[in-house]
Amino acid sequence: MNRKHKSRTSFLTMLRTALWVCAAGAAALASAQTDDQEDAYFRGGPESGRHALIITGAAASDEIRERFSQWSNSLHDVLARDYGYSADTITMLLDDGSAASQNERIDGSSRREDIAAAFTGLQQTLAAGDQLTVFLVGHGSASDAAAKFNIVGPDITGQEFAELLAPLNQQDIVVINTTSGSFEFSAALAAPGRVILSATRTRAERYDPMFARYLIDALDNRQGDRDKNGRLSVLEAWTFASQSVLGWYSEQGRLPTERAVIDDNGDGNFSLEPAAGTGDGGLAEIAYFDNHSAGPQKTSPEARSLLAEMQDLERAVFLLRGQKANYLEEEYWTRMETLLIDLARKTGRYNELQ
Amino acid sequence: MNSNNLRKMTRTPALARFALRPLTLCLLLQGVFFTLPATAQDPVVQLEPALERAEELLQAGSYLAAIDLFQRVDGFEEEAGLLGLSQALAQTGEYAQAIEVLEDAISDYAASARLSTQLAELKRATGQSAEALEILEAVVTGNTTPPVRALVQYGSLLQYTGRRDEALGPLNAAIGRYDTGAVFEAEEIAMVAVASWLLDRFHDANSLFAEAVRLEPENLEAQVLWGDLFMEKFNVVDAEKSYNAALEINRRYTPALVGQAKISGGERSIAFALEVNPNDVAALETMATLLVMNDRAEEAMEYVDRALEVNAESLKSLSILASQAALHEEYDEYARLEAQVAGFSPGNARFYGDMADAFGNAYRFTEAVGYARQAVAADPNYWQGHTLLGTNLIRLGQDEEGRVALELAFDNDPFNVMTSNMLKVFDTLEEYATLTTEHFEVRMSQRDARVLWPYMAPLLEESWATLTAKYGFEPEAPVLVEVFERTDDFAVRSVGLPDIGPLVGICFGRMVTLISPQTLDANWQEILWHELVHVFTLQMTNNRMPRWLSEGISVWEEREARPEWGRRHGMELVRAAQQDKLLPVANLNAGFTGANTNEDLGFAYFQSYLVVDYIAQEHGFDKLIELVKQYAFIKEESEMFETVFGTSIDTFDAGFRSWVDRRVQEINVYVHTEDAADEGEAHGHGQRENSSAVMAELYNNASLKQHMRQRVQDQPRDFQAHLQLGIVLFKEESFDEAKVHLQIAQDILPDYSGYPSPALVLSQIHERQGDQAARLEQLKVMLENQQHDYDSTVLLAAAALESGDLALSRYYMDRALAISPYRLDVHQIGAEIARRLNDPQMAVRELEVLVDLDVNDPVEARTDLAEAYLSNGQPADAKRNILTALEIAPSYSRAQEVLLQAVDAAP
Repeated sequence: MNRKHKSRTSFLTMLRTALWVCAAGAAALASAQTDDQEDAYFRGGPESGRHALIITGAAASDEIRERFSQWSNSLHDVLARDYGYSADTITMLLDDGSAASQNERIDGSSRREDIAAAFTGLQQTLAAGDQLTVFLVGHGSASDAAAKFNIVGPDITGQEFAELLAPLNQQDIVVINTTSGSFEFSAALAAPGRVILSATRTRAERYDPMFARYLIDALDNRQGDRDKNGRLSVLEAWTFASQSVLGWYSEQGRLPTERAVIDDNGDGNFSLEPAAGTGDGGLAEIAYFDNHSAGPQKTSPEARSLLAEMQDLERAVFLLRGQKANYLEEEYWTRMETLLIDLARKTGRYNELQ
Repeated sequence: MNSNNLRKMTRTPALARFALRPLTLCLLLQGVFFTLPATAQDPVVQLEPALERAEELLQAGSYLAAIDLFQRVDGFEEEAGLLGLSQALAQTGEYAQAIEVLEDAISDYAASARLSTQLAELKRATGQSAEALEILEAVVTGNTTPPVRALVQYGSLLQYTGRRDEALGPLNAAIGRYDTGAVFEAEEIAMVAVASWLLDRFHDANSLFAEAVRLEPENLEAQVLWGDLFMEKFNVVDAEKSYNAALEINRRYTPALVGQAKISGGERSIAFALEVNPNDVAALETMATLLVMNDRAEEAMEYVDRALEVNAESLKSLSILASQAALHEEYDEYARLEAQVAGFSPGNARFYGDMADAFGNAYRFTEAVGYARQAVAADPNYWQGHTLLGTNLIRLGQDEEGRVALELAFDNDPFNVMTSNMLKVFDTLEEYATLTTEHFEVRMSQRDARVLWPYMAPLLEESWATLTAKYGFEPEAPVLVEVFERTDDFAVRSVGLPDIGPLVGICFGRMVTLISPQTLDANWQEILWHELVHVFTLQMTNNRMPRWLSEGISVWEEREARPEWGRRHGMELVRAAQQDKLLPVANLNAGFTGANTNEDLGFAYFQSYLVVDYIAQEHGFDKLIELVKQYAFIKEESEMFETVFGTSIDTFDAGFRSWVDRRVQEINVYVHTEDAADEGEAHGHGQRENSSAVMAELYNNASLKQHMRQRVQDQPRDFQAHLQLGIVLFKEESFDEAKVHLQIAQDILPDYSGYPSPALVLSQIHERQGDQAARLEQLKVMLENQQHDYDSTVLLAAAALESGDLALSRYYMDRALAISPYRLDVHQIGAEIARRLNDPQMAVRELEVLVDLDVNDPVEARTDLAEAYLSNGQPADAKRNILTALEIAPSYSRAQEVLLQAVDAAP
């Protein structure tokens, strides 16, 4: 691993002194449950950059092209509107790029050379500690020979795509592969420190997935913000989208032909039920689509003391939650109640302070 | 015998060689080639072509030609020829001749063991079991190593004649012969399989049949017997394979044709079998059984009589007669028939099993249980009797005892698919919740208990209050309702097997089984109400209600319960009147039993409904109740009509027809012969699709438009043409012209409820034109006659909510819940209505369901619910829920506030 831990230390220090309650709490839990190496990823502070690369491949028909295009544009707009991205920090490579003249969001085509150029550009633009989220939209395919993302021109294999990602070793990388038959392509991208989402979990899941649609829903107005901390983590987005996909199939009375999975411990063994402390999910839980913003802080000694207590309580809640299986039901909830009432009261007092 | 022996035998190379030899059944039976292996080289060989050709013809089903050729065989092969001749004669129903041929040839039963065994089998098949027994006894006792077939036939007949203990000897001897390696031929192995079967060694029997057909796939008898074993175990798939294997070799082999008919329930195979052999008792009995099941008992009696003419000891025929006598409460006749059976087969458990089956099929479960008890008392090892007992007990709601009976059956006969299926459903039910109201006990999945139950419980009691008042009758309570998430479980619980066709609910009198609305795309409340009406009408008549009237009343009551429920088949009525398809009232059940398509079945329901509507409108509802009550007694339907309406059923029918004619005139729609009827599933519950209109929607084109223009010009009241023309014009965006034709269509059939309806297409036009008010108005029009469209009801509920019309919003919300309580939006609307109405109870109900359904935002859902609990004075529930929310999102300030409120409010 080539990551520079030194530069990370400063981010971590800043994070720990930042007075942003929920994010800090989640990070504390994650660090408690992950190893030292994992501790080095996705610790970006307020000043770390967020970049998105949306690559939308070739479509099998006009109708599908329209759908892919609509998803990609929506993704672009939601990232810009709700997560602080801008035209400068979003690179969108759409189909053959021919619509660029009518659509200013488009930066190029999904031809191999444009993709390579985009990565070269990102290498030059991205600072160490920045986060790059790559969205792949379109068709995929897998055979014994290789798993491919169907772009304009010769398709690109997972291995080739992994080579494009390799130079970005100072950045936090999230890849969200929403394509059909995406699993093996995604598996080729797995590496320590990367969060890889795949819309499908086997080669056999080769029908066009619905995952992208619900991922956008999760991002839209942070609908997927499950823990109500005002930020959307990759894990939350995954949870929202994958559950919505299952709900859609159920509503249609069809057996699901896609099951989304995550790998974020680099072992390439993707999880259907990721959660912090269970192999996969630890990084996805602290990988957010946006930067946290601490906002104006209260500086009185009482406020600072209360905040520290709140953080401790929150951490205690997370730890207790992680140990749920070790408690009898009643005892667990008694302990949880005590912590949560204490936290609620302290938060109330903190909020009352000037 | 053990399975090791079996495996060892199957690996013997000699057996494999035999498998390659194209031996015919008869030669195998005779064993000629064993004893005289050199004869193939003898001069006698010149006789073989006739014999071989005759056997080939017999095997191929050319029975008359085979008879001719067998008669020419003589000399050294005479015995083989006689055996073949008697078999060929028997295959064509010439039993007397077949017997005569054998009797003429036999001077000593023991010495002519093979011919004598064949003779005994023919005697048994023609109702001479006593003589058959004598012959077989002579063969078995007169030979040191009697043929395996003789041993098995002897054992079988001893069992049949009530000498079960004595049967053990010959049956075990046959099996012992196999175990010592002395049985090689496919036919004999099949006989050993039969012996194992008779001794309840079903696994061995199956293995042996498999071995027999592997050795000689052309052995028709082995194939069919194997199929029969599968059929006995309700393993239809494997049974069909065996029957088909036999029919591929000989399409005229009547035992296989009969087997196939039992699977398909169709009469074609039987009719063909009876063409081949008009005296085939199994075919006659099967035909009679099918006819009885289709409410054609009178026709069935003709076949029973024919079967009894051939075989006066035909158990199935006698049990059909006995069950008909008992069902008609002709107890003396029943006793006579019971004694007749006991005369030749004392203590025959199958007779009582057949009785239990017949009563179960007639929904007379109490009596069915009684006969099943008699069956297992007569033979405690009659495992199917235990299955019948268990199944019918379950229909009566006596699950505990029913399960015990089924488990006993399964422990001893684990191959019975019906038994194992029924027991598997018990496993499902163990996971289910049991919920009660004052008059109902309901079992459903835990999820349905959370999502469906809040809306089902009040409907159940509403139905009770409404129907008890209306019919002046209180059914036995609690009425049991079971709601199954899996269609297979519903089917098995209802009929024992997983294939149940389009049924979505079944009433057994006191018990109702339903498919969970989760898997339906139809108004579940209408279905439930429909079945609950059956509870009343069936119990009022001790389950003697004919299907047509029971269904007619249930459908009629749908519309009585909610104006939008029920069926509107105006087009179909006109079409049926035009085509003179209306059945006479006296023959309405045939509409159900003779339906070949969903369309036919749907119309059977509709016509039954029409008769009920006619009675209610023209004679009064009291007359309908009087008629229902008549069915509690055993009497002719014509007599009942005479009693209630004071006219003959024919006069009643004439009145009905004239009323229908008036209705047809009122409907006044032109029905073109090229249009198909609307199609729907779920026995009329659910959306019916207008396939012509759907096609117009998908493939509208100029020629279709031209054609429809011509049609409306020819027939201005051609509904379909106006509708299709409207759709084509809509697709062309000629909105104004489209509206004209759609409006005309709507005026012609204002209550048309198919998909797409004129109102639906008009609403779509208004939507395209941006006229939201007009769009909603048309959806309202559509929903006046359409009870299955969830999306439109939710749309109207949301629109009404937005406009502040809470009563209207709630009305449409309830309409949506009647279709599906499993979707988020309707509960979100419900929660908002509750909030605006300040109705904490309703809020709790809606939010409790939302918590279950909203997997994407559980924190918000739990927080909302906790707030509702607080408003509803349930602080403990509020605390429990808010803790769950905060467990996920500990810093969510709104939830923290609710937690503190809950803590403060707690006692």
